[in-house]
Amino acid sequence: MREIVRRTICAPSELTAELLRRGMFQPEEKAELLRSDAERSRESLSRRLRPIQFVALLARGDAQLATRAVLRDVVRGPELHWLDRFLRFQKQNSKRDELIRTVERAMEGRKGNVRRNS
Amino acid sequence: MSAETVEAPGNVLINPVIKNLTALAARAWAKRWMITFTAPTGIGKTTAVDYAARILPFDHRVIQCKQITTRYTLLRDLGLAPGEKWTNHGRNWMRASDLYDRAVERIRERPYLLMVDEADRLSMDCFEIVRDFWDDARLPMLLVGNEVLTEKLNRQHERLFRRIRVRFDQRPLREADQRKVLEFMGYQMTDEEFALLWKLVGGSPGFAEALLENANEIAASKGVKRGIEALEGAVRYFPTCRKVV
Repeated sequence: MREIVRRTICAPSELTAELLRRGMFQPEEKAELLRSDAERSRESLSRRLRPIQFVALLARGDAQLATRAVLRDVVRGPELHWLDRFLRFQKQNSKRDELIRTVERAMEGRKGNVRRNS
Repeated sequence: MSAETVEAPGNVLINPVIKNLTALAARAWAKRWMITFTAPTGIGKTTAVDYAARILPFDHRVIQCKQITTRYTLLRDLGLAPGEKWTNHGRNWMRASDLYDRAVERIRERPYLLMVDEADRLSMDCFEIVRDFWDDARLPMLLVGNEVLTEKLNRQHERLFRRIRVRFDQRPLREADQRKVLEFMGYQMTDEEFALLWKLVGGSPGFAEALLENANEIAASKGVKRGIEALEGAVRYFPTCRKVV
């Protein structure tokens, strides 16, 4: 199973559905996700998340999944600003720091490697 | 940077955070001191820095730190003239040390107050550069950040820590001030809603705003007006305050 699929399955069902709806996944990933999590996905597809709810769920959950969502352009414009704000209310760790750097770079319109050694 | 008195902007409510930060900025400038201003996230530090940047009647610069701020960002902000680009190749390439010397020279010629917002996000080498600016140019500074700033300075930057003359720790807003700020921001609440918010986040308008915005969306998705249920529903998005409910 692909790592991104595994992480998505572990996320809250409404977040999984919203990511699917926003077209975050490549066709093979989507097929794998729907195969392995069919029932839950179908059930939650009817529930839509509003922008702030969506970024709040991203901010409190798996930082690596959220990073992937930002890099794949699923979070845009004002949602990025809210995500940046919500992340400051969470406890800091290295993965979350990396997510914050990704968000900051996305807000500046840049992408790519955001690791920092010092 | 501003040299002349600017009128106080009308869209800011002058609360104790803004009063204290502005007073400390004036003090740092008058005495040529290095001062730290720390407060928990969401209290309104950035709003206070924005306000101070608009009204301080002496030369000042503001650096908004990010997680991606490096020593090169700092040097670029302090060493280059507005609109100038850092040429790092070709005949006129500038080394980081050239830029540093240029910044020091400028500060000596025409000093200003440097306000560093979110200073807790600065990395080790950035703190070293800040200390160098203090040692070489006696640059007055106001470092603004959350409690991590004090911790970082205590643990990792003893030499910088010793140069700080005032360490101000801002308390969260009082209940009445918090309500005033939230109402000023346009949030109308019942007493019951405010009591729950106060229990959850205390005197932190930023945190309260995050909860209220979430509650608004929850209520809107159900087609109802925001109430206590929506507010309780919003708490699940913020694990750090969930234990109170």
